[in-house]
Amino acid sequence: MALKALDIYKLLPKKNCKECGEPTCLTFAMKLASGKVKPEDCPYLDENVREILGASTRPPVQRVKLGVGERSFAVGDEIVQFRHEKTFFHEPGIMTAVSDLMDPDSIQAVVADVRDHLLVRIGLDLRLNGIAVWSASGSPDAFATAVEAVEAVAELPEVLMAEDPAVQEAGLAVCGNYRPLIHAATGDQYREMCALAVKHGCPLAIRAPDLDALAGLSGLCTAEGVSHLVLDLTSPSLHDMLNQATAVRQQAITRTAPALGYPVFLDTRPCGLPDAALICGVLKYGSVLVADPLSEASRKALLVLRQNIYTDPQKPIQITPGIYRVGSPGPDAPVLLTVNFSLTYFTLQGYLEASGTDSFMLIVDTEGLSVLTSVAAGKLSETLVRDSLKEFAVPDLVKHRTLIIPGYAAPLSGKIEDETGWKVLVGPRDAADIAEFLEKEWT
Amino acid sequence: MEQLSGTFSYEETAYHLPVTYALTGTAVHSADEARAAFRATGESALVAAECLTAATEAAGKGAPPPYTGFLPDAVLRTLGYSLVDGSILGLAVVAGTPQSPDAAAALCRELQEKYMLTFLSGGIVDSLTGAGVKVGPELRLVPLGDRPSSAIHFIDIIARVAMMFGGVAPGDADRLLSYAQERAKAIAIVFPGLGDDETAMFDAFRLLGIPILSAGEYEGNEWIRVSVSEAVRTGMDLKGIKVSVTAIPIPMACSPAFEGKSIRKEEMFVEFGGGRSPAFELLRCRPVSEVEDGRIRVIGPEIGELKAGSAVPLGIIVEVAGKAMKKEYEPVLERRIHNFVNYGEGTWHVAQRDIIWVRISKDAVSHGVRIEHLGKLIAAKFRMDFPDLLDAVQVTLITDEQEVLAAKKEAERVYEERDERIRGMKDTDVDTYYSCTLCQTFAPNHVCIITPERPALCGAITWLDGKIAYEISPSGANQPVPKGRVIDAERGEFEGVNRFVKKASHGEVARCSLYSVMEYPMTCCGCFECIAVMLPEVNGFMVVNREYKGDTPSGMSFSTLAGTIGGGAQTPGFAGISKTFILSNRFLQAEGGIGRLVWMPAMLKEELGERLVRKLTERGLPGMFDKIADEKIAVTIEDLTAFLARIEHPALAMKPLL
Amino acid sequence: MTISTLSDWTGEVGTVTIGATKADGGTRSGTVTIGGERDLAFIGNPPTGNRPLIAYELCDDPSLWPAPVIRFLGDRASDPAEWARFAAGEYRPDLIRLYLTSTRKRGFSAFAAITTTVENILQATGLPLIIEGSNDPELDSEVFRRIGEAGEGERLLIGTAEAGRYRSIAASAMAFGHLVIAQSPIDINLAKQLNILLREIGLPHDRIVIDPYTGALGYGFEYSYSVMERIRTAALKGDDDLAMPMISSAIDSLTVKEVREADPSASDRTSVAWELYAMLPATVAGASIVCVRHPSTIQPLKAAIEALWSPPGGGA
Repeated sequence: MALKALDIYKLLPKKNCKECGEPTCLTFAMKLASGKVKPEDCPYLDENVREILGASTRPPVQRVKLGVGERSFAVGDEIVQFRHEKTFFHEPGIMTAVSDLMDPDSIQAVVADVRDHLLVRIGLDLRLNGIAVWSASGSPDAFATAVEAVEAVAELPEVLMAEDPAVQEAGLAVCGNYRPLIHAATGDQYREMCALAVKHGCPLAIRAPDLDALAGLSGLCTAEGVSHLVLDLTSPSLHDMLNQATAVRQQAITRTAPALGYPVFLDTRPCGLPDAALICGVLKYGSVLVADPLSEASRKALLVLRQNIYTDPQKPIQITPGIYRVGSPGPDAPVLLTVNFSLTYFTLQGYLEASGTDSFMLIVDTEGLSVLTSVAAGKLSETLVRDSLKEFAVPDLVKHRTLIIPGYAAPLSGKIEDETGWKVLVGPRDAADIAEFLEKEWT
Repeated sequence: MEQLSGTFSYEETAYHLPVTYALTGTAVHSADEARAAFRATGESALVAAECLTAATEAAGKGAPPPYTGFLPDAVLRTLGYSLVDGSILGLAVVAGTPQSPDAAAALCRELQEKYMLTFLSGGIVDSLTGAGVKVGPELRLVPLGDRPSSAIHFIDIIARVAMMFGGVAPGDADRLLSYAQERAKAIAIVFPGLGDDETAMFDAFRLLGIPILSAGEYEGNEWIRVSVSEAVRTGMDLKGIKVSVTAIPIPMACSPAFEGKSIRKEEMFVEFGGGRSPAFELLRCRPVSEVEDGRIRVIGPEIGELKAGSAVPLGIIVEVAGKAMKKEYEPVLERRIHNFVNYGEGTWHVAQRDIIWVRISKDAVSHGVRIEHLGKLIAAKFRMDFPDLLDAVQVTLITDEQEVLAAKKEAERVYEERDERIRGMKDTDVDTYYSCTLCQTFAPNHVCIITPERPALCGAITWLDGKIAYEISPSGANQPVPKGRVIDAERGEFEGVNRFVKKASHGEVARCSLYSVMEYPMTCCGCFECIAVMLPEVNGFMVVNREYKGDTPSGMSFSTLAGTIGGGAQTPGFAGISKTFILSNRFLQAEGGIGRLVWMPAMLKEELGERLVRKLTERGLPGMFDKIADEKIAVTIEDLTAFLARIEHPALAMKPLL
Repeated sequence: MTISTLSDWTGEVGTVTIGATKADGGTRSGTVTIGGERDLAFIGNPPTGNRPLIAYELCDDPSLWPAPVIRFLGDRASDPAEWARFAAGEYRPDLIRLYLTSTRKRGFSAFAAITTTVENILQATGLPLIIEGSNDPELDSEVFRRIGEAGEGERLLIGTAEAGRYRSIAASAMAFGHLVIAQSPIDINLAKQLNILLREIGLPHDRIVIDPYTGALGYGFEYSYSVMERIRTAALKGDDDLAMPMISSAIDSLTVKEVREADPSASDRTSVAWELYAMLPATVAGASIVCVRHPSTIQPLKAAIEALWSPPGGGA
């Protein structure tokens, strides 16, 4: 069990020295309990206490970083099995596979595509993450040439997939400084692979026939000085991949098998169902996912699924407040006010579009709370509405002065009228009834 | 039974002779089998009536159309559908021959209007036809037969519904009887003209929990003597069959959408209270006999006699009755008057008790709205919103000044009595607390335990609210929590509470102390009004409210604290609480009480003001109010420590918290 | 030590059988059974319970149906019976789910047509059926009585009951021997409450399938995914009022912006992706029936479920 803030506080020096950057030891304890600071940040802890705190406050899944620069990403640091228990923190990196049998032009075309592909949703950039270079030929030279082709196009994080240490070394000679993931150490060659990982300061994927052997191998590799490990659970059976990834996450977060406390690597190619394997990888604990190039439809869906699953369930996604248009609204179009909780926004937007009425949506900042909650909590208030009308220059957009508010905001209608001078129409409680409402009330 | 011979059965049924089949489990198709069943049931009058009727109808000697005789299973299915569906509320059988056809016609119309499906047996059918009433299944008046004995079909219907819908196994007579008593919403109304056997048959209906309402001259049994005009209401009341109100007959729209609509001075026709005239509202629970549902009285001038733009006295007295209604629910229901009046498009209401302020708009008055309609609105909304709780609501509206003043005096006595009761109510006075799991939508394992002295941490739900919410909606988010054996009285830990919390938190939280912040405190959702935080440096607690945006001596602002402790976690040293809990004797009980309180934002101190001063005095800490620091005195722990030392805050001398 | 997942559940999800063959008084060519899980599907050991099934959704008024499907099907969509016959024959879903969208048009009064439509669908396919009636309280009583009557003996799964609107559907199930879909708006406690309400009016738990409401991918799907995981784990922890199988249908999948605005040449592929990427996760979260509208989604979804629920080397 993780330590509570108060238990941690008892172990702290209680000096309120502020040297850690926090105003009080209590604040430090709170942050340590939620993994936002490290025991090392406190200069006055003795070794013993630091160890105790480290063991119980360190995330049970090791954080591992891939790549350098703008597109680098970290995985691990996870603390729960189900997202509703807290949240999943670091979304898996999706690595598009190229092989050293491909000619450099084809490789570069794939890499450029991964570099440039971008999906913007709810104000966030969703991207594929990197390239997995696959040694199909077995030749060190061919592998090096393929890695060079990748490097020539973009500084993307890479996975070097070559189990022959000589081939791996040839790849690392090209990009070893850019923290690629070395794939993969096995029981036969882990010493050589560990040596390469140590030499280049790279994370290392490890592979073994079953979880017991994998735990054993992880111990051997840490003994060789490699602590940034990634566990390869690739299998031709989708069933096995899901089961094993689940087992690994569970053992890690319960700290039952600390040797499995590392992110999971899944190559989705061997099972022959790329979409299904990627879906399972995103849902159940994959951190580095390797896949062949995907259709545009699949990758959009994949990026959106990943965004959904890695959304903090206790902190709803927010829409940037402002004026949003449905269709091409003119100066007589209705103005519908709602909150900036993304689900509310999308629901209303969908029904407005379906209604075929050109309209303005005025999205006000309720910090992502839903209508019901924001009314109850006083976040949605007449002053907020007044300020938002002004801030987004709504009076310049329309000739009329009528505002449609959500049904659950009805208690505010009079206050909004008084505060803004606009006439308020109380809309339906359920967005599904908006078309009928507009037809009846907006002529 | 002895004359019975040969074989006979009903058509289009899988239940043979349904009453006999349900009671005995045997399929009767012959006279000998019938006699065996008759004996096996201890000579049941129902079995006898069924066998004789079946034999008669099978022989083609049943009454001709429009009489239906035995109804096939397919019709029963549709009938059962309508009962579950709620499009019919209950079943009635009317038998015999009424003395006054017109009175009988009125009775049947009343049954139709109240969504009862009515079966007719005997001379009643001719009486109705003679009085110009059309009968037929589509009119919810089913003529079973020309003799009162055909009412046995009413029982074969109930028996089949029990087997089809209630899962009652044929032959399980006990379950059949309990099903009929508990679930069948059925009544029987009998007029004169029954033979001895028929009287015996109807008397046996009572076994199934069917009240027999006698509008005839039957003596010497358990039948209920009623006048014809009272029969339907009495019967429906006895079986708890309620007609739900769906429309409010007033010349004004009424919907939650109008709740926030204010009525400005220039839009107003008349106003009441608000300091301009005496006004009050009061809701009382009365015995059922004293409340006439829907009765509205206006004492004093009506709207037409009032001067436009004037302020007029008003008393709103709502009297309610209901089997489940209790005196202690009065204040909770009374608060709904505010919502209901605001639902009216042209009516507006603020505040409560004797400080209410009500307006009626010019627009509404021009559409014909009168004072009386305020009463109709209130009565109808109470019936709609609390159908299971309230059977009858009547409203009296007083606009005569002298009458208002007199009634207000009485109301003030009631308010005081209630305050006294709530104030006096202790956690130890009750053995059941209430839970609230509304917030599990976003805080999956959070369970609020609400006690008389500890309201929900959002401040919105008191113990009474929780109790009434449970009684109104027994499967809702507020559940009773038997507190069980005391584990630790100081910390407020109870076996029953722990058991409940463990289950409701899906096994995540095993222990919960209601009066301690340090050990097993209650979980926090995210809606708490305030957060109490232990400050180890000064051996005390600070409390910060949601509205306060600045820094606190803990080093964290409200929002930082809320983000860390919320989401359904149990965090010793930190607790989400309501504002009023600060004034409770249970606040920080395990830690030594309110003397531990060292810091609060100035706005919170001001809000609690006098009440806090009084509480501190009562707890033997006079003068402590000024020893509680606020942000003007200290926002860092260092400044706070210095301040508390200077003024010798009691917390410093208390037992160390850690 | 052999490392595997830890599970110490005490509860079990009940089973529900949909459809009735001639032997049971119906006309279906087979029945399907869902539920029965004693563990999460992907935790250790062979999967317990029945594998998830795919329902193919169609309707009796295509003007209220997503455009990509109508484009793909052409004229077939104008006759629900033909539509059902085609989909069942060519794409092999496990069930057919008919939405009586005609009842959702303003001023609907063609009640007799409901009986005919349901009867025609029953003739057109031997698969077990799910029927979705009206969602207007004014129509419910008549619509659900018609559905119930027309399908008497067929053990239909009828939808959709909600907290304020469940009596007619429950009545239809109780009167004519059918099953009920109980929908709550992504809230575990409301789901539980509705199940209790249904039990109180006499509908036993073994005739209820929970619909926790499913938002489309990118439009609230994550809430549905988590609420399904929560409902399922609550059942496995022993909460009997949540121990029913679940049905999931992201009904807005094919009307979201991404699908609506997809290049015409990619319309089908995008439709399939949007359905597959929501419905496969739904099975992983615990849904027993997942629903799709684009016929081409059925095959890849089926293959994925097959692969996920088949331990290598046979097994259960």
